[in-house]
Amino acid sequence: MTERRAARIGVACALVVILAQLVVASAWSLGHEDPTELALTRQCLEREKGLAVGSADDSVAASASGGALATVVEGNAVTLSVARSEAEVERLRSAYSASGDPGTRLDLHGRYVALWHREPSPTQRQVTYDCAY
Amino acid sequence: MSRRYWGAVAAVLVAEAALLAWNAWHYDWLRGYDAFANAQYADVVSREYRLPSEAESGVWHTPPLWFALAGALGRLTTALGLGHAQRPGQLLAAAAGLVTCILVFLLARALFPERRVLHVVALVLVAASPALVRASAMYHPETLAVALATGGVLVAARALRTRWTLGSAVAAGALLGLACLTRAWAVPVLVAVLVVAGLHAWDTRRWSPVAACAAGSLALLVPWLANQELAHGSALAFNRPPPSGSVLDRRPASFYLGPRSLRALEHPITPLFRNELVPHLYADWWGDWALTWDSPPPPAPAALLPSGVVSERARQAVVGVVPTVLALAGLIALGLLAGARRSPSLALLPLSAAGVATAYVAFAVRYPSPDGDTIKATYLLMALPAAAVAAAFLIDALRPRGRSWATAGVVALGALVAVQLPFLIL
Repeated sequence: MTERRAARIGVACALVVILAQLVVASAWSLGHEDPTELALTRQCLEREKGLAVGSADDSVAASASGGALATVVEGNAVTLSVARSEAEVERLRSAYSASGDPGTRLDLHGRYVALWHREPSPTQRQVTYDCAY
Repeated sequence: MSRRYWGAVAAVLVAEAALLAWNAWHYDWLRGYDAFANAQYADVVSREYRLPSEAESGVWHTPPLWFALAGALGRLTTALGLGHAQRPGQLLAAAAGLVTCILVFLLARALFPERRVLHVVALVLVAASPALVRASAMYHPETLAVALATGGVLVAARALRTRWTLGSAVAAGALLGLACLTRAWAVPVLVAVLVVAGLHAWDTRRWSPVAACAAGSLALLVPWLANQELAHGSALAFNRPPPSGSVLDRRPASFYLGPRSLRALEHPITPLFRNELVPHLYADWWGDWALTWDSPPPPAPAALLPSGVVSERARQAVVGVVPTVLALAGLIALGLLAGARRSPSLALLPLSAAGVATAYVAFAVRYPSPDGDTIKATYLLMALPAAAVAAAFLIDALRPRGRSWATAGVVALGALVAVQLPFLIL
């Protein structure tokens, strides 16, 4: 076997492997709507963190354009809202502060706005960061 | 030609030395993988001359060689007032990264003498590998293990091409044994070398070299494995027990199929496609999936992740497509060629890469991790030397001859490096 022939077979095999991977990925993309950030977060909290996730029942969270959810992390209840922009993050922060400064109970992380029942511990906060998409 | 050849090699090595030293000096050691646990291990082993308990370091399952060296160097620099105790460990990792580049170059020369383009391409590919450059800045043992294992493979490859002597067999075994005493990922490389050496011995009816190679490596490795078996119940203990139940049920189908692979070229950062093996590994190899490299710490309150962070990693992911195809194709081609020509030295590379990949997949399936912690590109760094030489072989085997094609090749290789520089330099 010449080197050139071995190299050509190698290229063909590698392309088949990579094409197979792309076909699987494309087929999946065509058959699935990409889940929203909120859906990914819900899935992460439920499947990877083993938490029970419900719907958020405060009016500020309900106004978040990316949706909201509520869960309990290590005994501390939290409402997570997903904003679409920095301006909306600021709007949600202001709305939560309107009836008194929530202090460290209010945690902003990227497009995620979390209102905790009590001041979160680092590990509690990390759980929500791990599931922030 | 000779002057240009050596000039190019020297230029690449000098640039790589500067890059790795600069990065090791500027990289915050605490951002590297398992940094704090590594520091605790190094502290215990260098101060108290014993292995850490499970409570003392989260990486107690890692063999001790690098920790002993990094800890001793750290104590020395602290005593002399030369900076923080982890800096020497980072510089040791950088030096090992540079040595890996040199050894890959020598390996290419040993396997394909007189193929100068191949040698230089292999050197450039390994030197510009983002996974190697990142690992070389961390306070982490990975690059030392890769350098030692590559040294063992080089000695074995040279011996297989000429004549196995007892001296070269013991040297190869000792280097691979030391690599296994640094990271367990060197064990599949050791197994690959012993398998190839065994097949060679079968053909030549000379068994003493393979026996000497095995003895040299096992003399170093067995005490560590025995300690792990006695102290932790398994020679290959890990820092968490595997979940109960069938191995086949531990990972969902998405782990094997990688349904979000296409997004690896567009948004290759955490937490997207977490625990999808192929896109997760690919994004981390060519970029920085977990955001531990040249990116701001978690976004400040209300700040979004800077778009440049994502686009830089997306560019890396796109750049990596061609070299990845070349490496995979090259390994397959070398495997075919080794079989057709019954060449044990050529078989070393595909066999060691396949061994590392198989061991890694088995590990990732055995120890699923919700946060994706057991999927990291650095775990596969042991396969980099084989991948770099294989990709260089493929390029050299298929390239059209002629001055204009040579110029185009140099430009393409230069572009591959230049495009990556903003990411590689801290």
